[in-house]
Amino acid sequence: MLEDRAGSEDAPDGSGADTTTADPILEVRNLSTQFFTAEGQVNAVESVSFDVYDGEIFGIVGESGSGKSVTALSILDLVESPGRVTAGEIWYRNPDLADDMRDSHPEAVEGEYVDTRRVPTGVRRSLRGPTFSMIFQDPMSSFNPSITVGEQLAEAIEVQRRARANPRSTRSRTQGYGLGRFLTDSLLPSRSYVSAESRERATGLLDQVGIPDSAERAAEYPNQFSGGMLQRAMVAQALAGEPDVLIADEPTTALDVTIQAQILDLLADLQDEEDMSVIMITHDLGVIARMCDRVGVMYAGEIAERGSLTDVFDRPVHPYTEGLLESIPDPDDPAPRLQPIEGNVPSLIDSEMGNRCYFADRCPKAMDECVAEKPAEVDTAGSAEHRVRCVLAEREYDPTRALSGTEEDREREASADD
Amino acid sequence: MALGRFVLKRALQGIVVVWGVVTVVFGLRFITPGNPISVIAPLDASPETRQAIARELGLNDPLYVQYLDYLLGLLQGDMGYSYISNTQASAQVFARLPATLELAVVATIVAVVISIPLGVLSATRRNEPADYGATLFSLAGISTPNFWLGIMLVLVFAVQLEIFKTSGRGPGFVSALSMLVTQGSAAGLLSWLSYITLPALALGTYFTALITRLTRSGMLDELGSAYVKAVRAKGLPETLVRYKHALRNTLVPVITVLGLQLGTLIGGAVITEAVFDWPGLGTLVITSITARDWPILQGSLVVIGVGFVLINIAVDTLYAYVNPQVVYE
Repeated sequence: MLEDRAGSEDAPDGSGADTTTADPILEVRNLSTQFFTAEGQVNAVESVSFDVYDGEIFGIVGESGSGKSVTALSILDLVESPGRVTAGEIWYRNPDLADDMRDSHPEAVEGEYVDTRRVPTGVRRSLRGPTFSMIFQDPMSSFNPSITVGEQLAEAIEVQRRARANPRSTRSRTQGYGLGRFLTDSLLPSRSYVSAESRERATGLLDQVGIPDSAERAAEYPNQFSGGMLQRAMVAQALAGEPDVLIADEPTTALDVTIQAQILDLLADLQDEEDMSVIMITHDLGVIARMCDRVGVMYAGEIAERGSLTDVFDRPVHPYTEGLLESIPDPDDPAPRLQPIEGNVPSLIDSEMGNRCYFADRCPKAMDECVAEKPAEVDTAGSAEHRVRCVLAEREYDPTRALSGTEEDREREASADD
Repeated sequence: MALGRFVLKRALQGIVVVWGVVTVVFGLRFITPGNPISVIAPLDASPETRQAIARELGLNDPLYVQYLDYLLGLLQGDMGYSYISNTQASAQVFARLPATLELAVVATIVAVVISIPLGVLSATRRNEPADYGATLFSLAGISTPNFWLGIMLVLVFAVQLEIFKTSGRGPGFVSALSMLVTQGSAAGLLSWLSYITLPALALGTYFTALITRLTRSGMLDELGSAYVKAVRAKGLPETLVRYKHALRNTLVPVITVLGLQLGTLIGGAVITEAVFDWPGLGTLVITSITARDWPILQGSLVVIGVGFVLINIAVDTLYAYVNPQVVYE
């Protein structure tokens, strides 16, 4: 049902500003994910919207706790209790799936698009692999330590093979694979859930991601791999279902700097070869600059500023984006001290958030109107896609209206004004 | 081969442990009150008779000679002679061993068959009625003393309902099985079941409760771990997520506890065996203590110690098999 992605073929190479003319592969609209904890309701992701086009790399950047990873997990429907996706739509372009769903779930279909939030759970799960797949931050903890790497890749392939064998049935994956079948398969060595073809393909994938001696490595356990090699294996695993959208959640954070570059190069090459779209989640603006076509800057569960790379890096409007840019070292001019953003990401507990700009407390350019009302997302200078959730989009900073703060705050304002 | 060397190494370590056990067991006799001669000799025995008995038992020899004699005897399978019946102690001990092993193994099987599915159910239906039921069961099972449970089981199922036998062992599994094979009759097996069910339940309940808890908490840990999220992200069905991935890793600590508990079942089934008058090592230990029949007591303790060591070697080997991060060294 899903492997035939007719839609992606007639789409133009989606990079840069001309992507706006094509239909996106993924449209996320007003996605909200909340965690219901003992301390209160935490709005980890609040009304986030973005598009991902065919063959592009869309970056999401932000500090720890800004909601980047939860956004990714929400798209895959992997948010676990006490968290829940509470609102929003995730429109995925797939004409075949749209045809399948049109009669049974008309509310979830619009043209070639399907709202994955409104299809049954089984269908949503069947999208993991062939539609969305994910690379996790820490490869060492994201593989089962007691199963060989090859077997773990092969089962990801096998699940898609079985789904293709029964394209009309979204239940097909669990059919013929109940507990009884699993027990006989595990106890009788002659029988195996994973077919020989899938094992071969797993070795092929390991080859593709540049793991030498792939056949031998496939028989090894995760603890026998180095971090970089295991992250390559994870990339291979994510490719198993030939996904339309690959979500890379901090794919290089747990790795050595030298290995980071290799993994990024690998991802860029594969994205080119496989013609897939990538959502690159990172806290590292360097990764964004190197990899992405368009970027969204997340803060406190919202996208604070978005646009093309030029928009965000050369003409940032939101003081948070400016702060992020000032907090990375510039190799050409290492002399000035880095300017960290003071303070921490707010707790995101619903009752403490209020109708105001969430960044105002840390913002060197906060004014009275920032706490009066939550700023709407508005168009600003730059490309057509450059949008920002900040009052500064529409007016200049006026020091006389500055939000009263501490001594350091005012000093920081002064230096920021220079 | 790494596995062979591992087993050999553990076996050598095991021999040292068993030697320690033998030494302690031997030493026990000299720090406990009571004189073997009084046990053997009639109350009105003359001092000459008592001297003769002491000579015969080697009690006049220096301690190290007695110790070396005992060690050498053990190496040849000689545990001495019972003070009471004057028969070979080893014959008595080994005659009781099958009954104890049988009870321990059946109790373990009962425990494993009930506890692991129950623990998984409890973890996957967390905070649902099934989970509350399983948690309540394991709390009750851990808190119930097994001698009381044994007596209650006898009262209800043997005395009132007359489904099972109150005490004794019946034909034993091997003879019941050979009856089935040679005569094609299941009567022996049924009779065996009617004897073993209650003691196995009494002995296995605590064990079942313990493993249920362990499986539940282990499964919860595993299901919340990062790799499970990654497995789900691959689109694997939930059955595979649970049984192929999470349960497999949960079993690593379960196997450890299982082995340790099987060891205690062999040695520690004393009370249950007494309640059901089960003709195993436990009842033998009790009767030999009350009779001060030292050779029997020492022999039983040595056999229990050896059993413990063997089970631990088996568990360590199995442990390394299920957890590839363990290297045989």
